[in-house]
Amino acid sequence: MESLEYLMHGFGVALQPMNLLWAFIGSALGTAIGVLPGIGPALTIALLLPVTVSIGPTSAFIMFAGVFYGAMYGGSTTSILINTPGEAGSMMTALEGNRMARRGRGAAALATAAIGSFVAGTLATFALTFVAPFVAELAFVFKPADYFALIVLAFCSVAVVMGNSRTRGLISLFLGLGMGVIGIDNMTGQPRLTFGQAELLNGVELTVVLVSLFAIGEILFVVSRYDPGKEAPLVVSGKWMTKQDFSRSWRPWLRGTAIGFPMGTLPGGGSEIPTMLSYTLERKLSKHPEEFGHGAIEGVAGPEAANNAAAAGVLVPLLTLGLPTSATAAVLLAAFQNYGLQPGPNLFTSNADLVWGLIASLYIGNIMLLVLNLPLIGMWVKLLSVPKPQLYAGILIFALIGIWGVSGSEFDLMVMVLVGVAGYVMRVYDFPIAPVLIGLILGPMAEYQLRTALTAAQGNPATLIETPISITFLTVAALVFIVPMLVKRLRQRG
Amino acid sequence: MTPATGPRPYWLAAIVIGIGLIWIWGASSLPPASRYAGIGPRAFPTIIGGALVLLGIILALQISRGMSFEAQEAENADAHAPVNYAALLMVLAAATLPILTLRTLGLPLTAMAIFALVARAFGSRALVRDVITGAVLGSLAWLLFDRLGLQLGQFLPIAGF
Repeated sequence: MESLEYLMHGFGVALQPMNLLWAFIGSALGTAIGVLPGIGPALTIALLLPVTVSIGPTSAFIMFAGVFYGAMYGGSTTSILINTPGEAGSMMTALEGNRMARRGRGAAALATAAIGSFVAGTLATFALTFVAPFVAELAFVFKPADYFALIVLAFCSVAVVMGNSRTRGLISLFLGLGMGVIGIDNMTGQPRLTFGQAELLNGVELTVVLVSLFAIGEILFVVSRYDPGKEAPLVVSGKWMTKQDFSRSWRPWLRGTAIGFPMGTLPGGGSEIPTMLSYTLERKLSKHPEEFGHGAIEGVAGPEAANNAAAAGVLVPLLTLGLPTSATAAVLLAAFQNYGLQPGPNLFTSNADLVWGLIASLYIGNIMLLVLNLPLIGMWVKLLSVPKPQLYAGILIFALIGIWGVSGSEFDLMVMVLVGVAGYVMRVYDFPIAPVLIGLILGPMAEYQLRTALTAAQGNPATLIETPISITFLTVAALVFIVPMLVKRLRQRG
Repeated sequence: MTPATGPRPYWLAAIVIGIGLIWIWGASSLPPASRYAGIGPRAFPTIIGGALVLLGIILALQISRGMSFEAQEAENADAHAPVNYAALLMVLAAATLPILTLRTLGLPLTAMAIFALVARAFGSRALVRDVITGAVLGSLAWLLFDRLGLQLGQFLPIAGF
């Protein structure tokens, strides 16, 4: 039980008063941001990236962990009380949760969401504690060709899973990959696609692209179709969870966790599919199927647990392989890179304090969030009354600081406007955003692994399919691509 | 797939193909693969450019078959509402303004201007209050992030500090 020993050490790091404070700041900030519309966890962490200049990596990641989980707790609040899921993962929560709130059972819906998130978060972190070192051990065997195959698999799944159209998912991905090659080629020192601009020699900053796509693109989109929302937030009403609510909730919590965590660890797993699966499963298993669609508590408990468990699952490939599979994970990877750290199997040995401190703070953050969210829910709901015009104006200012503070260059501000307009167009024509970021951050990695593999094999492309690992990954990648097509064909015939 | 009503957005496909061609063209001036590795700095941009051209053509075909595009759902936005171009341009102006003013006027003044602009675009009528809020928010943010070690430029460059 080596993991437990390391974990105890991690708690020693995370329980230092300063780090506890950072965890608290992160959790509170994350919840506040989850409640506010327009900003998700990815954007929040991107906007906080500048603080990496002045605080140490361990403290920073402990804070980010709080933001990461906190934003999900906050997201369920808005889903339930005003029926506006801030992200794909809480869509299912809104479905039943909002109906519950309308029937005067808001308090119970919020409670089952918060406790479910806590149960799932804790269990998934527990799984992470034991799975991650194991995967990290496995990853030591990976050769460059295997890494390349794995990244190809991540690309395929991200492009297929995210969004409604494969073509548009792939276009998003390749636009990100295209931006990824801009700058000096690491292996030959050649400037590529810089169009003679000195500012482009260092490549395109992930922060700039992310802030522009999410913040600027979102503000442009919302203002062009602004709907002040005639719906006032529902009042938190009704009795807290009853005994019957508990007995109807605990199984969905556990099932949601069991679905969410493994799916979160898969490349391209995300939170959409696990939450939908959990919702469907609970509907099938429920003794009160007639309540679904009118506010069934199982339909809140299950998906909410699945959502949190999936988020913890995403940390497994991120920490052990350096492979981000969601927008938030991509920003976390950028944060690691800001410190000159490369997540991967070596991180567990070279930066044990950081990794285990981070994992321990996930446990602590979960407890803090439960405390922040159960009794103090009324305080967070007040945030919903911040007037929208001033809220979006404030978001633009912070976006500006996030970009200007990192580079201090007008060129990046121009990139911000350009990419922001692109983000607007992508929202109007339904191109998914996350594949752009995954492509931008994983593209250079894929190219590096591919070229290393080919150089070692003296240019023989057969090396890419030499090991069983790479063959497996590439086969799965092909299946991810082909199977949905076949299913569609069969359905059309039948 | 329901057939699209209104103009078909062929320009989307044109942009994708255009970006692909630029990438292929940009890669063409790079040195070819080294004989030893069989791959050089040219390969990746060329593949990406080629893929974008191909995807752009597929997108054009889908558009010609009448594929419809549904705007994404977002909080506080009605995807089916008529587009308010005046508000859109006002926010775009607010996002462009810092390129000109951030260095010369400093963050607090720039923040004041864009805060008022964005709030106005969202329908706020309280101009004086927005201007004050923007200035206060910008100043506080400057002080906070300056203490955190961020280089945000001078506070008020015109006054010289």
